[in-house]
Amino acid sequence: MCIRDRYQRRVHGINKLQELMGFKRFVQAGRVAYINYGVDHGKVCVIVEVINSTRVLVDGPTLGVPRQVISLRRLALTDHLLKVAKGIHTKSLEAIIKKEDLVKKIGESSWAKKLAAQKRRAELNDFERFQVMMLKRQKAYLVNKDVAQASSKKSKKPAKKPKSGSQPQKFHHITL
Amino acid sequence: MCIRDRYQRRVHGIQWCQRRSMGKESKSQFSLKKVKQYILVGRAKPVVKAGKQEEPKVYRMRVFAPNTVIAKSKFWTLMRKQKKIKHTGGELIAIHEIIENPSKTVRVYGIVLRYQSRTGYHNMYKEYRDTNICGAMSQMYMDMAGRHRAREETIHIVRTCVVPEKLIKRAETKSFTNGNVKFPLLNRISRPPIKKFKAFARAKRPTLFLQQINTFQYICSHKQKLSLIHISEPTRPERISYAVFCLKKKKTQ
Repeated sequence: MCIRDRYQRRVHGINKLQELMGFKRFVQAGRVAYINYGVDHGKVCVIVEVINSTRVLVDGPTLGVPRQVISLRRLALTDHLLKVAKGIHTKSLEAIIKKEDLVKKIGESSWAKKLAAQKRRAELNDFERFQVMMLKRQKAYLVNKDVAQASSKKSKKPAKKPKSGSQPQKFHHITL
Repeated sequence: MCIRDRYQRRVHGIQWCQRRSMGKESKSQFSLKKVKQYILVGRAKPVVKAGKQEEPKVYRMRVFAPNTVIAKSKFWTLMRKQKKIKHTGGELIAIHEIIENPSKTVRVYGIVLRYQSRTGYHNMYKEYRDTNICGAMSQMYMDMAGRHRAREETIHIVRTCVVPEKLIKRAETKSFTNGNVKFPLLNRISRPPIKKFKAFARAKRPTLFLQQINTFQYICSHKQKLSLIHISEPTRPERISYAVFCLKKKKTQ
């Protein structure tokens, strides 16, 4: 730790130092976390209280997670943080989740969208996979055409954007 | 499946039962020694002395044990040591398991214990944060085993209590009781969400800075693109004698 870090730590405490070091997601009361393992895996919950360095008390009233002690190994922290006092009761937490519209916020986050897309991709039937292949080909053709056009020295026109209107609605989230 | 579980299954359905059995697991998420709290009531057998029947004193004891068998054993051990009542000369009147309400608040439990080390007996006071006393007890046993090599048999619990915030002694417990405690999670090793997806061998070392959030991400990142080649060479140094047996001895003439 350099002198500057030591100063920061003494003045602001270790939390500030951690923030300065670039840590953004902390295990703290009010942190929204995703459960990675166990019965409730796939669900989102809120850390209500930190028990020790390995376990937390967690609750998810409208999220389908009963109030329980869970290991930090089973959690993945998200960016969302609720303003919640430690040890908050389930009912109060439910009110806050509703007020903050947490379910909606989580649904809007990019990783939730990725999850949904991946789930959709896994659920595709054979014909849909064929359709995806066809569309990928079409998109690749258009993209390559424009890339070739843009890279050619003779062309003075600006590069055209590839057509996106031909794709049906449900395949918008396919990342190539 | 016992009769009770069969009834529960019929009434509530299989998912509820699975949930309940896993819920038990999820309540103490570790493979900690599952300790239960029992209250045992016992006394010496009444003996007729000179025509009078004296009613012996009844004693009640609170015991922490993984099951009733060990609880009873502990009860009689202590009765013998403290009250000079042996198992043969006494009777157990009642044994009740005390089940605490499911976890809702985190408390600090103080445990005074006496344990036998290799060189003598020692008293200790330990504090643990947990939602129930049995969880704290389990933590204590693990802690004692780890720090002092003290096994469960050598530990006697003197007293337990719920410690209010102001009276907490240990710095670590105090620091976690603080409402503003926060720390980042470092060195994250992702693991599959279901045991089924656990791989025996992987081509790559794990990345410690990414949090794997779901099955698909996990499988994609840990896809084995390399095929495991069978190497016929031995991986450990083997005795030379095996190779020597393969050689034919030259016949000396």
